Amino acid sequence: MIVRNITMLGHKDHGKSTLIGSMLMLTNSVTKARIREAKVYSKKLHKSFEPAFILDSFHEERTGGLTIDITRAEIPYRDVAFSFIDVPGHEELIKNMISGASYASTALLLVSAKKDEGIRDQTKRHLYIARMLGIRNLVVAVNKMDTVRYKEARFSEMRDGLLPFINKIGFGEDAVKFVPISAYRGEGIVSKSGNMKWYKGEPLIETLYAMSADESNDSSGPVRVILQGFLDGKKDLIVGKLVRGTLREGENDICTIPQNERIKIKGIIVNGKRVKKAVAGEPVALQLDKKISGEARGSIICGFLYCPIPKSTITARIFLTEMLGKDFSIKFNGIDLPVKSIKVNRYIDTTTGEASSKKAIEPLNAADATISLESKVPVEKFDETRELGRFVLYSRGKFAGIGTVL
Amino acid sequence: MIEQNLKTLEEKSIYILREAKQKFSNVAALWSMGKDSTTMLALARKAFLGKVPFPVIHIDNRIDFPETYAFREYLSKKWNLDLIVAYSEIKPDPIGSACCGRNKPEALKKVMKEYNFDALIVSIRRDEHGIRSKERYMSPRDEKFRWDYKNQPAELWDDYASKATKGHVRIHPLLDWNEIDIWRYIQQEKVPVNPLYFSRNGFRYRSLGCTHCTVPVKSDAKSVKDIVKELKITKTEERSGRSMDKENEYVMQRLRSLGYM
Ligand SMILES: Nc1nc2c(ncn2[C@@H]2O[C@H](COP(=O)(O)OP(=O)(O)OP(=O)(O)O)[C@@H](O)[C@H]2O)c(=O)[nH]1
Ligand SMILES: [Mg+2]
Repeated sequence: MIVRNITMLGHKDHGKSTLIGSMLMLTNSVTKARIREAKVYSKKLHKSFEPAFILDSFHEERTGGLTIDITRAEIPYRDVAFSFIDVPGHEELIKNMISGASYASTALLLVSAKKDEGIRDQTKRHLYIARMLGIRNLVVAVNKMDTVRYKEARFSEMRDGLLPFINKIGFGEDAVKFVPISAYRGEGIVSKSGNMKWYKGEPLIETLYAMSADESNDSSGPVRVILQGFLDGKKDLIVGKLVRGTLREGENDICTIPQNERIKIKGIIVNGKRVKKAVAGEPVALQLDKKISGEARGSIICGFLYCPIPKSTITARIFLTEMLGKDFSIKFNGIDLPVKSIKVNRYIDTTTGEASSKKAIEPLNAADATISLESKVPVEKFDETRELGRFVLYSRGKFAGIGTVL
Repeated sequence: MIEQNLKTLEEKSIYILREAKQKFSNVAALWSMGKDSTTMLALARKAFLGKVPFPVIHIDNRIDFPETYAFREYLSKKWNLDLIVAYSEIKPDPIGSACCGRNKPEALKKVMKEYNFDALIVSIRRDEHGIRSKERYMSPRDEKFRWDYKNQPAELWDDYASKATKGHVRIHPLLDWNEIDIWRYIQQEKVPVNPLYFSRNGFRYRSLGCTHCTVPVKSDAKSVKDIVKELKITKTEERSGRSMDKENEYVMQRLRSLGYM
């Protein structure tokens, strides 16, 4: 079955884990033993049954009533399987949220309609991060409708409150749909809810099916192979991942970057077998006509005509989870690169999407910045080749944020 | 049970196994002679063109099934494996049961130290149980083998955890696979398997521990094909034949965070 990766988004306690738990039960996609375990545990903690416990398995997650780290749950629907990635909504755990969301192509945002909950910081910040990560498809579930007597007015209030922000950060008008639900009571999820007859759209799961798309690799674009290094014990075979294009045996319009050396592909091995061509997404082992100079890791192989020009200065949008220390580095293309200097050009508040000329960078917010590195690297715009247009920031050896090349 | 695209799964596992060899200087793998760790070895043979380029460790408590020992001898010869047998003693563990899962860590700690391994490939899958579904592809353990599960490193795109300053890193190349995918892959690639998985007198082992903690489940599946068919419709848990998992998730978690397997 084709898997579609869908990340949850949303402020803490708005019902992300509960929704996945409910969906698993409503679609019969979880064993009885797992449900029983969650029920017994809820009782032990003197709570009424929490469907979230099917996902939240750590003791501290259950006693604290929060998700600490990401997990996945698979639900088959029609001809696909959704792989839901549950993420924490707590601000301090945003590095885990980014980890989970980075694997998704579609996002399911939850916003609670309950009084005093509504649109909150993480509702918007998560959306901002999802956009940065390149997620294009979005469904917004307005949750806890049972607590507001299923009133359409509250649903509209949430939708109208969020739409301007959604459009501002670049989700297209057609790329988002709103669905009213009650995750806890299982309403509006797999079938229409009798309590919300005013809602004329499809239930959540069908909306997700329509709004998400199959994930595919771009095998028609220019060739890009990210090199991992030499195959263990074999100096004549180089391994890596073909992230874009189609590579053919015998091809000689090919070069290595940043070395800028023209090479010829003498042989290709994919998944243990010798093949005439490899397509995007495949891990490859390559036999070249000559030894490449310098380090293989951190270099790429690409088409001679369309190859990125190596640069030591890059402009990027960055999102920080930590204050940057004196010395920090970016992890790009499999290697650590020390940063010489960083200059902020534009500061972006991730809860409003507003840019300002403030020259500071702050955790939980974003900035467009110019980063100078010690060496030249083969970068591309994130919109061009994702794998060569993104990096991870490390400060004192600790994860500090992400960046995408503009 | 959801059947995923085997090619996609295979590709990701091969990528992770190669990353492990690139990033770490002294990699080893745990091999229990079960279906998962044997499938991992089959994937490693593909990733490294016919040979498994790291030692495989069997933590032997001397109470595994005779079939398991026979399978160990057979496959390590056939695939030319660099086999390390580490013996573990059977004694009551902190919560009082004398069995493989809880006694093996001591033996593992010893062998990891003796050979100075900095990375350990473990063939766990996310669908096995709730705690395992919270694992990363690469996960640091400290020098006492503890898992700091409340503060796991970020892991996104293809950026995996680097060398642990102390301790080692666990590598989980099969994290994405479901039980049924493992069997479909075994079928497709004709991977040799331990005969205990096949039904005898109406029972088969679905998950293998040692003779103390594993009981067979009712099944008539006599071949890999039968097993795949059985799993398509099963409603029971894979590890229902394991006494250890019957205890609650919290105990499992505490044990894992303390360095137990
Ligand atoms: N009344 C009502 N309560 C709900 C609904 N959905 C979730 N809840 C409750 O809201 C609380 C929080 O739900 P969770 O699913 O843990 O929220 P979360 O978004 O996963 O929270 P984090 O993991 O901390 O980000 C739980 O006590 C749920 O039972 C709903 O539709 N109606
Ligand atoms: Mg949660």
